[in-house]
Amino acid sequence: MWKTECGGRTRVEQAVKQFLPPCQVQCPINEDIQRTNVLISMLPEDPNTAQEGVQQIGDYLYERNPLFTVCGYVCGLCELECNYSSQGGAIRRRLLKRFISDTYTYNLDEKEEFNIVKNKENVAVIGGGPAGLMCAFDLSKRGYRVTVYEATARLGGALWLIPQYRLPEKVLTSALENLVRIAGIDVKYNTRIGDGKLTLDKLKNEGYKAIFMCRGTPTPRVLTFGKEQLEGQDLSGVMYGHDFLYEVSHGNIKSDYFRGHKVVVIGGGNVAFDVARTARRLGAEVSVACLESENKSSRDGIPADHEEIKGAWEEGIQIHYSRGVKKIHGESGIFQKIECPLCTRVFDDAGFNPKFDPDDTMFIDGDVLIITVGQGPDKSALQKEGLLDEKGRLAVDPLTLQSKTKEWIFLGGDVRKIGFMVEAMRDGLYAAESIERYMRGLDMHEGRTRAYEAQEIPRSRHYKHEPDIVWIPPEKRMHFQLFERGFTLKEAREEAKRCLTCGPCISCKACISIGLQDELPTVTVHEERCSGCGICTSICYYGSAQMKHVADNKVKSMTDMFQCKACGMCVVACPTLARELIGCNLEAKYSGAIAAL
Amino acid sequence: MVVKPKVAIYWLGGCGGCDEAIVDLNEAILHVANAVEIVLWPVAMDFKYSSIEKMNDNEITLSIIHGNVRNSEHAEMANLLRRKSQLVLSFGACANYGGTPALANFRSKSDIFNWVYRDSPTVVNPKGVFPQTISETNGKTLTLPEFYEHVYALNQVIDVDYYLPGCPPPPDLIVNAVSAVLSGKLPPKGTTLSPHMAMCDACERNKTKPFKLEIKEVKRIHEVDMDNETCFLAKGVICMGPATRSGCGNTCVSTNTPCRGCFGPVSHACDSGAKFLSAIASLLQADSDDQVEQVVDTVVDPAGYFYRFTQAASILHKFDENTNRRCP
Amino acid sequence: MDEYSPKIICFKCNFGWGYLDDKKEINAVMKSTVPVTCSGKVDSTHILTALKEGADGVLVLGCSQGECHFQDGNYQTGKKILLIKKVLTSFGIEPERVRMVFSVDPDGIKVPLEIEEMRNEISSLGPINIGKCAMAS
Repeated sequence: MWKTECGGRTRVEQAVKQFLPPCQVQCPINEDIQRTNVLISMLPEDPNTAQEGVQQIGDYLYERNPLFTVCGYVCGLCELECNYSSQGGAIRRRLLKRFISDTYTYNLDEKEEFNIVKNKENVAVIGGGPAGLMCAFDLSKRGYRVTVYEATARLGGALWLIPQYRLPEKVLTSALENLVRIAGIDVKYNTRIGDGKLTLDKLKNEGYKAIFMCRGTPTPRVLTFGKEQLEGQDLSGVMYGHDFLYEVSHGNIKSDYFRGHKVVVIGGGNVAFDVARTARRLGAEVSVACLESENKSSRDGIPADHEEIKGAWEEGIQIHYSRGVKKIHGESGIFQKIECPLCTRVFDDAGFNPKFDPDDTMFIDGDVLIITVGQGPDKSALQKEGLLDEKGRLAVDPLTLQSKTKEWIFLGGDVRKIGFMVEAMRDGLYAAESIERYMRGLDMHEGRTRAYEAQEIPRSRHYKHEPDIVWIPPEKRMHFQLFERGFTLKEAREEAKRCLTCGPCISCKACISIGLQDELPTVTVHEERCSGCGICTSICYYGSAQMKHVADNKVKSMTDMFQCKACGMCVVACPTLARELIGCNLEAKYSGAIAAL
Repeated sequence: MVVKPKVAIYWLGGCGGCDEAIVDLNEAILHVANAVEIVLWPVAMDFKYSSIEKMNDNEITLSIIHGNVRNSEHAEMANLLRRKSQLVLSFGACANYGGTPALANFRSKSDIFNWVYRDSPTVVNPKGVFPQTISETNGKTLTLPEFYEHVYALNQVIDVDYYLPGCPPPPDLIVNAVSAVLSGKLPPKGTTLSPHMAMCDACERNKTKPFKLEIKEVKRIHEVDMDNETCFLAKGVICMGPATRSGCGNTCVSTNTPCRGCFGPVSHACDSGAKFLSAIASLLQADSDDQVEQVVDTVVDPAGYFYRFTQAASILHKFDENTNRRCP
Repeated sequence: MDEYSPKIICFKCNFGWGYLDDKKEINAVMKSTVPVTCSGKVDSTHILTALKEGADGVLVLGCSQGECHFQDGNYQTGKKILLIKKVLTSFGIEPERVRMVFSVDPDGIKVPLEIEEMRNEISSLGPINIGKCAMAS
């Protein structure tokens, strides 16, 4: 079994010219997707022997992303940009991560603590969600003493909204508990800042030199029509999606809680569908009403992922598109039905401004109404701490995440901008870097904006189709176990092998880390030998060998070292020996072999 | 009275075309003739070997030797001229790399003799007379040079100072070479007196090459509709230009004939045939894996084509340690 | 009596053959094996020179078709070898002396077996005869 090295020459380098494969550009934390894909493709075929390799890959990912085990169930942003989509299907990176996670999660309890020397200042992180945990993790590694203040009894924040049929509880709890243990992070549970005497200033007095505020968005949005808050949201049987999902996550709801009930869900985002499919699994007959239209490619299209909609439809959930809610009808204080005019337009040039057709109205009845139209931060708390501007918006520098009103406070995650889990994690990492610079008196802005350029797809004669995702049949899904089948070792190796390694060698170095090569060779062109025949350009699969114009209407060969994989095919194909591989030990080994004849 | 430098021009196993090339210098040849004293030129002048043998070593300033070494007389004369000359210029494809006659190396001597003296349809040789090195006729002993098993390039037999490629070398290169010798402005020993870049650098058709060149089926020149601008490779016609040294003045490619490689390899590539094989293999394209062999089979007689002029200099020959191989 | 055992030079692609062999034991045993990062790096000059320098056979171990880490290095070398075989025939050298195998073997166990198999197959051809001939002086 190979052993993958992570230090010294095997360390991936900052791309000088900022080229990366498109998946890594898209990933908010620029994970080393290409390197780990290659490593997965080179695991042994035997599952027992492969464990060691899976553990190594997991360790490598964990160094920079201790929540990667969760990503394998809920993310997949990278797949949206994968070059392979144009040729047969994006690489199923999320399932590859899940494959690693499926083993790694169960060994996480045994992973050793980092035992970092913490000789730098104290930093407080308010909010134990993904943003806060990433910030705490990163600062701990840098030697800061970090304390996380978590208002509830458990870490994880909005991650608990994700139903267990998408993210098993064991994966989540294992990731959260072990993160703070391994990085040596102190957590104060059930401690809400702003309650009574506990304010940010008090924390400052207690010795915290910087604070990262990432309390997320605990407040569900209420339903409005026009500019008015809709009446009836306090009827019996009406609840908010967020509260509902948090309740379910505590395990307090019986599995047939909604049997015999008709549940109506209002909302068109992924969370609304999490609510609908959860309610369905609790026995309800479910329908969804959303403002947006069915056509996902239009501006007014429903924002939920295609997979969620497909899953919901398969599970027998009825979806009413393009419906607003004008009135909530109740009788004797109990919810009866909603009145839904047709929404003809959701957005106009100014923004969110729905328009309705009063002559086309339908009624959807039910006995439970779950409103899931978004969530917002706790503005009053932010106001009290003086972190809002005169317009009531968060006063924060979008690049450095530093508060504009109090320089020792940094803000990130959903509280700053609602987004995906990994975007919150990115904020956490960014804030950690900002806090370090702030503490050490360094420039806050220098080198922070990295505009990465995505590399294109290599040519190939063997593009393959993506493997299908396998879901258990809908009638067998009425429980909270995972319904999506993960990869076997064989499937993971094959899918990882399908990756075309679009990105530059210096951002990968997988081959060096397992000893296939000692260094990355470079290709040099001896221009005095190059006749401009262009054969190298025809054979290069990576767009690296190119012809450039020189004087007198002549062309000569050149190498774009960011595209080059040093595969050597251009060197072999060059009829005049104008191209040479430097740093490749083929000739030395060849001479040795000849001598040994 | 100025002593004119002595020059010898001698043919080994050649066709006479190289002598033609020198004669083709036309008026320029008179300048040459006036500037030097020609001491040996069998095609044009009547000197005897014995007059060369009588000379002192290094008495001849320059020996221009063309043709390959096929028999012992060639070897003998090559060695003789080497002893008597300061500089030896290997002239033409045959001397440099073996030339077209070196294709005979794909057969054994007995194969060749059997065909020429016995099996060829037009041979009438009822007594089976084959040339011998020694034979008795009417009580007299007749000796003939020994026909070697192999065709050799000149530098595999004697030490060579300079090379002039071509089949035959073009007039301008000849004049430059001879002038350089006479004026004493010579490049380092072992240099080939021709531009060092491959043909594509000099060829007008290079700029019409498509970005992605691929050959799905190799065609012969008469099977395509050839114009005078398109690159031959782009039409599927094998042109050895990419692996062949330039300097010939593009006589073939400008008359719709693909380059056949008579100028041999560029400076540091020993075996242009092998390098060209790699290059052309890269360009061949099969649509699916099971068609690869079929596509490769459209290259008819690769050995004959790739080594048309350079067989004697190819990798697959092992030579005496005494040989002077120019490649590093 | 010495039994003739053909000398084989073997080019072995690292991405397909023996990458799980971390102790590099297999490499140590085979001195005439040249590990390469892709079979596409093997040039015609490597193969022809090997034959000239005394190898009785040349074996190239490349990845299965469609599995090359660099897209098509194995395919490129495959085409070269088909052409080389034709050239060898003209030179009077048996084309069986050059061989390419398209497969993967992560543990590298099959490498010595492939070499042995080639040895067995070409031993009946005898030592290579590449037209050694001394000048008659």
